[in-house]
Amino acid sequence: MNIAELQAYGYFALTAILVLVLYGYIYHLYSKREDADGHDYEEYSNIALKDDVTDTPVSAISDDKEK
Amino acid sequence: MFHWLEKHPFFFAVGVFIAIAFAGLIEIVPNFAQASRPVIGTTPYSTLELAGRHVYIKNSCNACHSQLIRPFKSETDRYGHYSLSGEYAYDRPFLWGSKRTGPDLMRVGNYRTTDWHENHMKNPPSVVPGSIMPAYTWMFKNIADINTAYAEQLTVAQFFAVPYNKEVPMRDGTTKIVKMGASVADANALALEEAKVIAADMKDQDVKDAVANGQIPEIVALIAYMNSLK
Amino acid sequence: MENRPLEYDYTVAKLFMLTTILTGIVGMLIGVILAFQLAFPEVNTILGSGLAEYTNFSRLRPLHTDAVIFGFTLSGVFATWYYVGQRVLKVSMAESGFLMFIGKLHFVLYIIGVAAVIFSLFAGVTTSKEYAEFEWPIDIAIVVVWVLWGISVFGLIGIRREKSLYISIWYYIATFLGIAMLYLFNNMEIPTMLAASPAGETGFGAWYHSVSMYAGTNDALVQWWYGHNAVAFGFTVPIVAMIYYFLPKESGQAIYSYKLSLLSFWGLMFVYLWAGGHHLIYSTVPDWMQTMGSVFSIVLILPSWGSAINMLLTMKGEWQQVAASPLIKFMVLGSTFYMFSTLEGPIQAIKSVNAIAHFTDWIVGHVHDGVLGWVGFMIMAALYHMAPRVFKREIYSKSLMATQFWIQTLGVVLYFTSMWIAGITQGMMWRAHDEFGNLAYSFIDTVTVLHPYYTIRGVGGLLYLVGFLMFAYNIYKTMTVGRKVEESELQNASPMGA
Repeated sequence: MNIAELQAYGYFALTAILVLVLYGYIYHLYSKREDADGHDYEEYSNIALKDDVTDTPVSAISDDKEK
Repeated sequence: MFHWLEKHPFFFAVGVFIAIAFAGLIEIVPNFAQASRPVIGTTPYSTLELAGRHVYIKNSCNACHSQLIRPFKSETDRYGHYSLSGEYAYDRPFLWGSKRTGPDLMRVGNYRTTDWHENHMKNPPSVVPGSIMPAYTWMFKNIADINTAYAEQLTVAQFFAVPYNKEVPMRDGTTKIVKMGASVADANALALEEAKVIAADMKDQDVKDAVANGQIPEIVALIAYMNSLK
Repeated sequence: MENRPLEYDYTVAKLFMLTTILTGIVGMLIGVILAFQLAFPEVNTILGSGLAEYTNFSRLRPLHTDAVIFGFTLSGVFATWYYVGQRVLKVSMAESGFLMFIGKLHFVLYIIGVAAVIFSLFAGVTTSKEYAEFEWPIDIAIVVVWVLWGISVFGLIGIRREKSLYISIWYYIATFLGIAMLYLFNNMEIPTMLAASPAGETGFGAWYHSVSMYAGTNDALVQWWYGHNAVAFGFTVPIVAMIYYFLPKESGQAIYSYKLSLLSFWGLMFVYLWAGGHHLIYSTVPDWMQTMGSVFSIVLILPSWGSAINMLLTMKGEWQQVAASPLIKFMVLGSTFYMFSTLEGPIQAIKSVNAIAHFTDWIVGHVHDGVLGWVGFMIMAALYHMAPRVFKREIYSKSLMATQFWIQTLGVVLYFTSMWIAGITQGMMWRAHDEFGNLAYSFIDTVTVLHPYYTIRGVGGLLYLVGFLMFAYNIYKTMTVGRKVEESELQNASPMGA
C-alpha cells in the first residue's frame, strides 16, 4: 500500500466522518427543543433584543454561583 | 451537547481554531519540500538584478503585471513557455500578481531590450500607443539601494542555502556561477560592473553620467532585472 | 458606585467610529482617483510631475486596499465590538478600569499603526504581498494591536453577566483567531539587517527590509491562503457578527432561527479556509489543491447563504419596515449583496470560468460588490444605529439617509456591471485566435477597449464616495445638533429626524 492509496482511504474516511457529524448535529439540533440548561434554543435571540444593562440575562452567570 | 461550547468561551475558541487551522495543515504543509526545488537553468539573482527587483516591488509593478503564464495556447503564444514551479525557487517574495492591467512579464527578457525599456519607462504611450501605464521618470533620478540587495543576498545564502558563488547547472549542460561580493564595497563594485553594460545601451545622458560616477540609478537596476526574466 | 445606575460606556466605540469615517473617506477617495487613473492616465500626475512618484497608480493601489481593509473595515469592526460586546454580554466597560485602559491603549496604538502604514506605503516600503504589504516593524506593531484587542474581547467575556455567548460574539472570536493565525504565518520573514558580510561588516542596507521565509510557489500558496481568508475573516465573519446583532435589534424581530445560525457558523469556519486555492487555479501549485479550492468554494455557498437567508427571513412579515426605514434598507440590501457575491465568487472559482476571469477586472468587480454592497452598507448601517445610542441624539436626517442609500446603490450597480463587461471582454479577447491560429489581438487592443467601462466604473465609485460623504455629514450633524432623545426612544427602531 503506497502513500497515495493511504491518502485515498484517509480521504474517504474523513468525508464519511464529516457527513456523519454534520447530519448528527442537524438531527441533534432539530430533535431537541431545549439545551442542557433547559433553555429553548430560540430564547437566545433575546440576548440581542433585551440588551439593556438592567435587563435580566437569558441565562445568568450568577445562576451558576447560587447552585 | 454542542451548545455547551457557547457557554464556555475558552473551549469555544479552541474549537474554532481547530476548525480553521485544519485546512491549512492539510493543504499547505505537504507541498513545502517539493515545490522549493529549482529547475535546471534557474539561477539566483545577481546583486544588481535583486536591487532591480526591489525597485519593481517598491513601485508595486505587480499591481498591474503578472509573472505567471498559465498553460493555455493563447498564453504560451503571447508570453512563451508556461511557468514551472521550480523557476520560482529563488523568488522571495513571489511576484505572480493578481491582475493583468498590463501584460505578463514572466519572460519579458526574451523579447524586450534595454533600449525598449528605457523609452517605455520614460513615456509608455510613445512606445505603445494607447497605453495607460504612467511614466516612471523618477527612476532615472533615484539611486538604487545596492546595500540592501547585498544584505538580502547574504541572508538568503545563509538561511535558505541559495547557491551564490557556486556552480549552478544550466540547460545546455554547462554551469554558471552567480557571484556575490565578499564585502559591501565588493558587492557595489560587482553591481557597478553590471550596470555599466546596461548603461552602455542607454541614451539618457544623466543616467550614463551617474553610472560613470559610480552611482546606479533605479532604472538601470530595474532593466537588469527585466532582462533577467527569461 | 452601587447606587448609581450602571450604564454602558461607549468611549472607545466613539473613537473607533471616528476612524471608521476618516479612513473610509481616505480609502474611497484614493479608490476613485485610481479608477480615473485607469480611464484617464493623465490623472497619474494630478499633483504635477514632481510628485508623480507619490500620486502614481502603482504607489496608491496598496494604500487603497489597505485603507479600506485595515482602516475602514477594521475600525468598523472595533467600533461595533466595543458597542455590541458590552450589550450582548450585559457588562459595562465602566465596570473594569483595566479593560477601559486596554481599550484606549488599543485605540492609540491602532492610530500609530495606521500612520506608520500610510507613511511607509507612500514611501514605497512594501513586501508586495497583497494586504500584507507591511514590513516587519509594522507587522510587530499590528500583532501588538491585535493582542490588545484579544485582551479586550476575552477580558469582557470573562466578566460577563450573560452566560451564553450571543451569535455575534462567536463571529468576533473567530475574527480574532482567524486573522491572528493567518497574519502570523503569512508574514514570517527574516530582517536583512541581521546579515553579516564575509568581511565582517554588519548593519548595512535598509533596516526595515526583510525577506520572506517562503519562496515562489510556497510563498504564493501561503499568501493566498492568507489573502483569501483575510477577506473571510475581515470582510465576512465580523460583518456577519454585525448583522446578527444590528438587524434584529433595529427591526425588533428575533433571529429567524438560532439553530440555523449555529449550523452556518460551524460550516463557515470549517469550509472557508479550504477555498484559498481558487486564487491559484492554473498556476504552478499542485492540481489537487486547485481542485480542492474550486470544490470548497462551491460548498461555501451553503453556510454563506445559511446566514444570509436567516437574515432575510428575520424580516418575515415585517417587510413594511424595509420601505419605511432607510436603515433597514441598508441592511437588507447588504445581505442581498452578500448572497450575490457569495454566489459570484464560487462561479469564478470553477476552473473553466476562472480561466477567463482570472487576471481580469471581473475579479475587481466581484471584490467591490462584496465590499461596497455588503461590507460598506453594513458598517454604515451599524454606525447609523449606534449614533443615537452613543450620542443620545436623534439621527439628523432621514431623507438625507434615504438619498444616500439610492445614490450609493446606483454607484455599486454601475461599478459591478461595468466590471463584469470589462472582465469578460478582456478575458475573451486575450484568448481569441484568428482563422490561422494566431492571436487575434495584441495586448494593447485589450486595454484600449476597456476605456468606456473604466469611465463608468469611475463614475460609480464617485457616486459611492459622494454617498459616504453624506453619511459622514449626517453623523457629524447627529453628534452636534441632533435632537436629544430619552432612553425609552432607543429600544428598537432608531429615532430619525426629517
